[in-house]
Amino acid sequence: MTFLKQTIALTATGLRGISERRGSSLVTVIGVTAVVGVLVSLLAIREGATIFSGTTARPDVVDVISRGATSTAQSVLSRDAVAVIEDAPGVKRAPDGRPYVVATTLVSVDAIKKNGKRGNVYLVGFSPGAALVQSNVKVIEGRQYRPAVHEVTVSDPIRKMYRNMNIGDHIVLNRTEWTIVGVFAGNDSIGDSVLRADAATVMSAFNRNTYQSANVQLESPAAMQKFKDALTTNPAVAVEVRTSAQSFKDNFGQLNSLLDFVAYFVGTVMASGAIFGALNSLYASVDARRREIATLRAIGFNSGPIIVSVLLEGLVLALPGAFLGALVAWVLFNGNVVDVAGLIFKLTVTPRLLVISIFWALTIGLIGGSLPALRAARLPVATALRAT
Amino acid sequence: MKYLPLVWAGIWRRRSRAVLMLLQIASAFLLFGLLQGLNSGIKQAIARTHSDRLYVGSAVSLGVPLPISLLPQLKNVPGVKLVTPLVQFPSIYQKPGQGIPMNGVDPEAFFGMFSDYIVPKAQVEALKNNRTGVILGSTPAKRFGIKVGDRLALQSQQPKRDGSNAWVFDVVGIFEVPSQPSGASAAIVNFDYLNDARLGDRDTALLYIALADTPAHAPAVMRAIDKAFANSSNETRTQSEGDMIASQIQRIADLDLIIGGIVGAVFFALLLATGALMMQSIRERVPELAVLKTLGFSDRRVMVLILVEAVIFCVFSAAIGLGLASIILPAARTLIGIASMPGIVFASGIGFAVALAIIGGSVPAWRGLKLQVAEALAGR
Repeated sequence: MTFLKQTIALTATGLRGISERRGSSLVTVIGVTAVVGVLVSLLAIREGATIFSGTTARPDVVDVISRGATSTAQSVLSRDAVAVIEDAPGVKRAPDGRPYVVATTLVSVDAIKKNGKRGNVYLVGFSPGAALVQSNVKVIEGRQYRPAVHEVTVSDPIRKMYRNMNIGDHIVLNRTEWTIVGVFAGNDSIGDSVLRADAATVMSAFNRNTYQSANVQLESPAAMQKFKDALTTNPAVAVEVRTSAQSFKDNFGQLNSLLDFVAYFVGTVMASGAIFGALNSLYASVDARRREIATLRAIGFNSGPIIVSVLLEGLVLALPGAFLGALVAWVLFNGNVVDVAGLIFKLTVTPRLLVISIFWALTIGLIGGSLPALRAARLPVATALRAT
Repeated sequence: MKYLPLVWAGIWRRRSRAVLMLLQIASAFLLFGLLQGLNSGIKQAIARTHSDRLYVGSAVSLGVPLPISLLPQLKNVPGVKLVTPLVQFPSIYQKPGQGIPMNGVDPEAFFGMFSDYIVPKAQVEALKNNRTGVILGSTPAKRFGIKVGDRLALQSQQPKRDGSNAWVFDVVGIFEVPSQPSGASAAIVNFDYLNDARLGDRDTALLYIALADTPAHAPAVMRAIDKAFANSSNETRTQSEGDMIASQIQRIADLDLIIGGIVGAVFFALLLATGALMMQSIRERVPELAVLKTLGFSDRRVMVLILVEAVIFCVFSAAIGLGLASIILPAARTLIGIASMPGIVFASGIGFAVALAIIGGSVPAWRGLKLQVAEALAGR
């Protein structure tokens, strides 16, 4: 009980001191804000990607690619192979017998960004099964593309980032003119980075004869084994079956870990700088109260409450930085779209990132408070009282 | 100069505080050095490129294959001295993580235009005469102890017509790229062999590399090439080597913007920190400064002393951070292909440190200038 009382009393005096040392306290807060702001902004890039993977990683949807391919881009599926997949056991079927299979073909095409720079986007052709498997993808403006004529729908981020991508605009791809007829929303495995069109139309425009991969919705997650066995033992096709979660990992895992590495590396170097700043500020706080602390020790305060109170002061100084930093990142960047390696990421500041920023801020505060706390606890009482 | 001991004493007046501040500044400049070093290293690599080497890709997008039938037409474009097709298979040697890209080219034309790739003439001749030959970059050759005369087996995701993914070559030569050590990482093989043996995309090239007769003609030759194929079923887009690298980098991310943002946030926080610390330090030293003035130091001299102290301290700390960055950066060399931290980064870092000190120190220095001796001494 005394411990608690002493801690409260000490912390209160410490906190009152914050407003007296406004300058150095503010520096700590802003230091933490800068760390958290940069960290959250960088993490928000991949958070956008994580969000669209989460919605598509359904246990009953699997991805079929050619054997040996490590990602969708390298996979090649013939029309015959797609026919075999559509007939395989375990595939969910509509009442009229249509299989829940969507085969896709993917072409990387160059487009001009609004800032005049050249970027690349993916034009993805979907077989008619898209309407069944990707029921979450909806046309939110305009209308759906039609087969046989060169029509595409765009995602909202693409429309915002690139020139001539509004409904009614025409773009020339491989000497054929395509009309933008609608805007879609909802996510598939490449999410918002694509132009959507009819697969057969894309294949004829780009002189292709093969699909890249197929997405299959099964009767139930339990049908996975049956489906997989039927395809892998069929000598007519050389394919691999992966869950959509696995497929996402294979396609984007490397990019995601690179983004994580950059964010945490930059964050760590910045945080170490902020820790030195916090240490300085709290040493100053302890130094300013040398006599006070020594007096309290002399009248019987334990060193435990002294340590806890300095640590608490560190946490109090660091915590506003977490919220401010996350807020700055949210105000400046939330909803912005960035283009990383041809994939469009919508920067998203999520509650998860706020938790991460609080964790980082508290760590900075704790480490920044630890050494000054020890100094306060070890203060030689006699010398400190004699000091001017 | 005679005031140096005085300045030095001022810096280390509160040793632990100075050390912490030093570390804080050093870590900010470490980050600055790493990020800017990376950025300008890439830019230098772009500037070092050979402007007479032209990369002819599909106008649809780089990576969309072009048919091999373009080769004779390209050779006939006026001003084009040499042309080679290029196909590139990512492949691994023995186990994942040991990547060696397999580049299929016309050996004579390729080494003819890449004059900075050092290889004996006889070895190029040997590659020409051995369909399954390879001239290996010195980097993997050294790393894996591969010599001329050895067999080199690579695993690629590109299957062969016989269904296997194992590509076996006879090592007939080793090339070096003294100007850019990380450039010597590929396995150069015969395009004809790769093209015959592969299962998919036969008779196409990822792109063509053409050499203009002089660098001065390069822009005209680029236009001539694209004009030659305009309105054909295979329109081309020709880029110089520098443009090519720049657009590849641009595809990955807008580096300038991201690095600028991070460095801006770091320096903003740092400026406040140094400014506040100097204020605090001057506040504590008011009596000392008053004594200096009593001894006959002019107002201005006291102000200059404070500023010099700030500049020396910031530059010293920044140099430590930049020095650390220049030690760490070469470790990333294999990733991005830059050998050392460019001098310009070091120089601009020091420039920023001076600016930081002068801006952060201006308010305290002003206080030093305005300090009234009598009041300051009485305040004690």
